[in-house]
Amino acid sequence: MPPLQPVGNRSQTKPQGSSKKLVIKPLKSKPSLPADFEIKTWTRLQDAVQAVHAQTPVACSLEELYRAVEDMCLHKMADRLYAGLQQACDQHTKAQIEKLAGSQAADEVLFLRQMHGCWEEHTSQMLTIRSIFLYLDRSYVLSASSVRSLYEMGLQQFRTHLVHHAEVLRKTIAGANQLIEAERQGESVDRQLLAHLLRMTSALGLYDDSFQAGFLEHTHLFYRAESQRLIQEVEVASYLEHCERRIQEEYERCQHYLEPSTRRHLIKVVEQQLLEAHMAALLNRGFDGLMAEQRTQDLARFYTLAARVQALPALKLRLKDYIRTSGLALIMDEEKDKDMVQLLLEMKSNLDDIVQQAFQKNEGFANALKEAFENFINQRQNKPAELIAKFMDAQLKGGSKGQSDEQMETDLDKALMLFRYISGKDVFEAFYKKDLAKRLLLGRSASVDAEKNMITKLKQECGAQFTNKLEGMFKDIDLSRDIMVSLKQSSVAKSKFPLGIDMNVSILTSGFWPSYPIQEGTLPAELNDYQAVFRDFYLSKHSGRRLVWHNSLGTCVLKVQFRKGLKELQVSLFQTIILMLFNDTAEMSFSDIKAATGIEDRELRRTLQSLACGKLRPINKAPKGRDVDDNDVFFLQCRLLDRQYQIDAAIVRIMKTRKTLSHKLLVNELVVQLKFPIKGADLKKRIESLIDREYLERDRDNAQVYNYLA
Amino acid sequence: MTFDVEIVRWHAVASWTWNAGDDVCGICRMPFDGCPPDGKYPGDDSPVVWGVCGHAFHLQCIQKWLQSQAQTDQRCPFCRRAWEFKAAAPSS
Repeated sequence: MPPLQPVGNRSQTKPQGSSKKLVIKPLKSKPSLPADFEIKTWTRLQDAVQAVHAQTPVACSLEELYRAVEDMCLHKMADRLYAGLQQACDQHTKAQIEKLAGSQAADEVLFLRQMHGCWEEHTSQMLTIRSIFLYLDRSYVLSASSVRSLYEMGLQQFRTHLVHHAEVLRKTIAGANQLIEAERQGESVDRQLLAHLLRMTSALGLYDDSFQAGFLEHTHLFYRAESQRLIQEVEVASYLEHCERRIQEEYERCQHYLEPSTRRHLIKVVEQQLLEAHMAALLNRGFDGLMAEQRTQDLARFYTLAARVQALPALKLRLKDYIRTSGLALIMDEEKDKDMVQLLLEMKSNLDDIVQQAFQKNEGFANALKEAFENFINQRQNKPAELIAKFMDAQLKGGSKGQSDEQMETDLDKALMLFRYISGKDVFEAFYKKDLAKRLLLGRSASVDAEKNMITKLKQECGAQFTNKLEGMFKDIDLSRDIMVSLKQSSVAKSKFPLGIDMNVSILTSGFWPSYPIQEGTLPAELNDYQAVFRDFYLSKHSGRRLVWHNSLGTCVLKVQFRKGLKELQVSLFQTIILMLFNDTAEMSFSDIKAATGIEDRELRRTLQSLACGKLRPINKAPKGRDVDDNDVFFLQCRLLDRQYQIDAAIVRIMKTRKTLSHKLLVNELVVQLKFPIKGADLKKRIESLIDREYLERDRDNAQVYNYLA
Repeated sequence: MTFDVEIVRWHAVASWTWNAGDDVCGICRMPFDGCPPDGKYPGDDSPVVWGVCGHAFHLQCIQKWLQSQAQTDQRCPFCRRAWEFKAAAPSS
């Protein structure tokens, strides 16, 4: 920084030679305020305050008044000024409240408006007064700790007088409550007015004690009465809807005119009265119905409302109970066994939907569902496991026609889910194994992939221990196929299979398959030969083994002569054994057949019935009828024509020698000549036929006598 | 000569078991058609073998037994005759 230099032209501007000093002398007498300063100033201010209260124009400008306050404060008159102002305001407020106390307002709304008007006036006047006395508010009030700010002072006075005139306060609070109740009853009320009045009580510090407590009590009573009436009158779904609406309304009430602090208490009271108090009734009376009708929306409402009052555990319990009861009813109803699995699947899927859509995917609820299923499904021994296995069997056999592979897989997965609930897995395994054996041995599987897929899934569910036998069954089928291929390619087959029967053998490893009772049956000679060839071939490949034949599982394809031509039939081995007998004999009695086949009595009767009384009847039975009797005679259907011919021939033969014969005598002769049993009706039919064809005629004098026509 | 009934195809079903007289293995006391204690699957995976003495055991069982005996003194645990595997097992 450069050193300071005297600046030349500055000296020129200095007044030349004027070196007079300015001397400040003390005042001769101490300056003092005029004696009437305080009284005059206060009077001016008092007038202004009165004008504000009276709502008349103020004589001086606000600026002057402000200065007057400032002056008084500066001259240490603030305490007296404050006291004077306080008194002036108090008198006015007292008068105002007294005026309200004497109000003749015709109804509560009118009174409330008056109250509100009074309050509005008070606050606006206090604001004006405060701006006049601003200096007082900012200096004196701030420095003296025991003194209220002017606005506070005003509130304090308002409160004091209001509390003193308890009737006014009581009427105000009661009026507010009445308005709210009217609104709850559906009337539209002046929410603005309510908002103002409640804000007033809050500003006066009266909200909590004078309003809220009573209001909550009021609310409590209102909703207690309402809920007690409604729960009797309306059904659960509409009751819940009503609760939801009520709670929403109370929230709105909080938004529009209640203090924010009230919300928590208010909603709690409403929830307690509407929901908590009636939860047991709601659950007991309405829940099952809503479930049964799958009222998802109502159930969702039930869930949210129950959550509000911590009733979800009870709801969950109820759900579990419902599932258990309805599930039990389903599985115990033997008439529904046929559709049990389908019905269970539908039930499960519906319940899943409800948990998803109504119960917000609550894991606890999903678990309750699972536990309930596990509980009821195991209340009935064995049957559900059996039917689930059977359902899978139907699916794996191709299910319903036109079903896609994907559909089959989803259906199987669903059934598997039911299987998970079953505790008796061994029962299931036994049935599954039995069905699988049938599918494999009879070639009934719709898809090998689907079969293996299913085994993989069962393995995942229950472990390898569970499925290794089932897998062994598949292995046996593959091995059997290999053995047949090598047998058919061997020289043995070429030399020893001359008859051209296409033979296949499934060789089962005993431990893998269900155990089958041995059923005797004498094979036709040709099958016996084939069987011996196969056995020798097999044992030459596998030493140390023996084979046991399961006749009851054998099947054949036959060509059978029917009256209307040759037909190919898929039949059991027992059916084959019986049918083959008739190649050598025209007709056989039951006991003949029994002796020739060695088939066990009941099995034989059943098999004969299937051949003689089924839809296709390769065999006919005399006499006709469903039951197989020891004396019944059987013959091939295709030979029926022969029998008619034999009867016709016998009749003609007899009539040719006798020329004339009564019906009775003719029948007697026929019975002697024909070796098979015949019914009178059948003979009559043949005789009629011969009359038609003019071999015979009825005697003109006696219809019971026939004449031979040459 | 034509027949009124003719067989076109025959699907026969048989099951096989080990042709080992006694139904249980003398060593593990389990059925021959079941598994020995260490076996997982019956049937081919749990084979049965015969000694020249005519006694049969699960292959796994007799092997274990023979290993537990002196190399020079391998005998049938049943009849104490010298053990030798029979080449071809009996069939019936």
